[in-house]
Amino acid sequence: MSHHLPICGSKDEPLFAIGARFDTPEQLIGAVSRLRAEGYSSYECFTPYPVHGLAETMRLPKSLLSFLVLGGGLTAVLIALSMELVPSTLIYPLVVDGKPLNLSALPQYVPIVVALTLMIGAIAAVTGMIILGGMPRLNNPMFAWDLFAKDASRGFFLAVESGDKKFSAAKVAELLHQLGAGDVTAIHQEEESK
Amino acid sequence: MSATTSNEPAQPDLSAIARPPQVLNNRGPLWVTDAVCSIVEGKTPLWWLAAISVSGTFAAIGGACILYMIVTGVGVWGSNSPCFWAWDITNFIFWVSMAHAGSLISALLFLTRQKWSISISRAAEAMTVFAIICAGVYPAIHIGRVWFVWFLFPVPNSYGMWPNFSSPLLWDVFAVTSYLTVSSLFWFAGMIPDLAVLRDRATTKIRKFAYGLVSLGWLGTARQWRHFEMMYVLLAGLTSVLVVTVTTIVASDCATSVVPGWHATIFPFYFMVGAVYSGSAAILTLLIPLRLVYPQLKELITPSQLDKVCKLLLMMGSCVAYVYVFELFNAWYSANPFERGAFWERFTSSSSWYAITCLSINLTIPQLFWFSAVRRCLPLVVVLAILCNVGMWFERFMIVTTTLTRDFLPSSWGNFHPTIVDILTATGTLGIFFTLFLLFIRFVPIINMSELKAALPGSQPHAGLGRSTGEGH
Repeated sequence: MSHHLPICGSKDEPLFAIGARFDTPEQLIGAVSRLRAEGYSSYECFTPYPVHGLAETMRLPKSLLSFLVLGGGLTAVLIALSMELVPSTLIYPLVVDGKPLNLSALPQYVPIVVALTLMIGAIAAVTGMIILGGMPRLNNPMFAWDLFAKDASRGFFLAVESGDKKFSAAKVAELLHQLGAGDVTAIHQEEESK
Repeated sequence: MSATTSNEPAQPDLSAIARPPQVLNNRGPLWVTDAVCSIVEGKTPLWWLAAISVSGTFAAIGGACILYMIVTGVGVWGSNSPCFWAWDITNFIFWVSMAHAGSLISALLFLTRQKWSISISRAAEAMTVFAIICAGVYPAIHIGRVWFVWFLFPVPNSYGMWPNFSSPLLWDVFAVTSYLTVSSLFWFAGMIPDLAVLRDRATTKIRKFAYGLVSLGWLGTARQWRHFEMMYVLLAGLTSVLVVTVTTIVASDCATSVVPGWHATIFPFYFMVGAVYSGSAAILTLLIPLRLVYPQLKELITPSQLDKVCKLLLMMGSCVAYVYVFELFNAWYSANPFERGAFWERFTSSSSWYAITCLSINLTIPQLFWFSAVRRCLPLVVVLAILCNVGMWFERFMIVTTTLTRDFLPSSWGNFHPTIVDILTATGTLGIFFTLFLLFIRFVPIINMSELKAALPGSQPHAGLGRSTGEGH
């Protein structure tokens, strides 16, 4: 079916996607809107830097990360307050200069609450980004495509995945050529990745 | 598809605002990638090997001194009654303060969309992380019996003991731990896309594996960038808070005591402006020589960006000068004989040269940066910036020791004299700092490539047509 296309990966393995390279972010965004108009939904864009408007064109939802960080921060506030108040008021009240230890002395507990909130918030932000972004991952079918694996920073890449219900290698390849894509390639999976 | 009508939509806007270019000579994104990666990919230069052997030796000697101190006791330091804090806390404050300019540049200036800071932010963050590591050496070892360091953390234990949560010294533990964690995460997470570029370009198996491991399988998909940009804004927000809180808490170590000369509400502000001042000086000290050894950086780290760091130094240096004057005024105006006495002793006792060195540097050197001729002469800037940090070190030293050696009981007054172990431990932290910074130069991209490329003119579609995403930059 895709015999006229350059092939990468192992021919005997199933087709993973049809990949294409664009020279400019405008072309990539144009291609995405066309793909959406044609009814494709399983595709992915790869850019060397965040391209404004791409996520909107792809209709990607807003990142959930801010909620994760809010959750992490609120958890930290609870942890910090209980960590400070339980020993100070119940288990081991350490009276210094006759100063109070209960809630009326709340300001003295604030610095640790702030420090812990920032720390757990940051940990939530980074682990959240890693997990939501589908990482960590040691290998990826896209790496079978040498052009992408070696030079992803030199272009704006698009891969239409074979899992798409409208997928037909020949049609996708033709559409991508029409949209001005270069290096349209059939990406098969590599043997090791099986 | 209307995007294809014009290839340079950003040009008219930029010329109207007339901002200095981000990268000189109209270099494009591909040149930026090559220029930054070539530093990591090129052959190890001889100067690097020479520099790291020197800094590594100092670090090793410092480590040996720390070991010697641990097995012998804090008596090997010059600290003695009533000056129980001396070079340990001086150096702790010096290093943790220096870190702050890095956070300010990478986080606060990112949030306020000061794009000029993009090129220097990665190196500034690295400086932050390494300076906190150097600072972290001291609090752990200065307690004397290091094996009891876990007392600092509120862990349930068989003694049934808990730390004093109303003590700023305990707040310090949390502030510094949190500062190190957050700035390391900010630094590392921001680097993931750039590490992936190094992975893609790697030519040897070991490099490919190592960079592949640390870049966590980053591909730069639209989804990944979506979460990444959100994370970057959130981390910048969290880090910006740290710029203010950490020095405030460190300053509280001194300010909440009743010692004259320390017991002042201006201390948090005092420490914070001093921190950004000394950190700006450190950034200039590190980056200007780096441009010499890697000429491609001259186009990436432009004179106009360095000029802005000089102005930051001038502003913070002027704030420091204001605090010095205000502190003296306040001591006089308080009419408190002990407060007045503390400052009188600071300038008239036999250790007055600390205060005189500190004031003569910090009141004059930053003021030279009013002149654009000075800011443009980069070799002079390096010399002045080093002097600023010498001045700041003497400031920390003056605050800690001249105050403690003149306590309430004149019979116990004396002077602090550092021992050889004090000196070699201090130079050891310098060695640790420079060793880490040299490793940083050699093994990771020292400029935030992805952020820089995204900010280059013409790199964004529809630029200038009011179609920004809101959460990007």
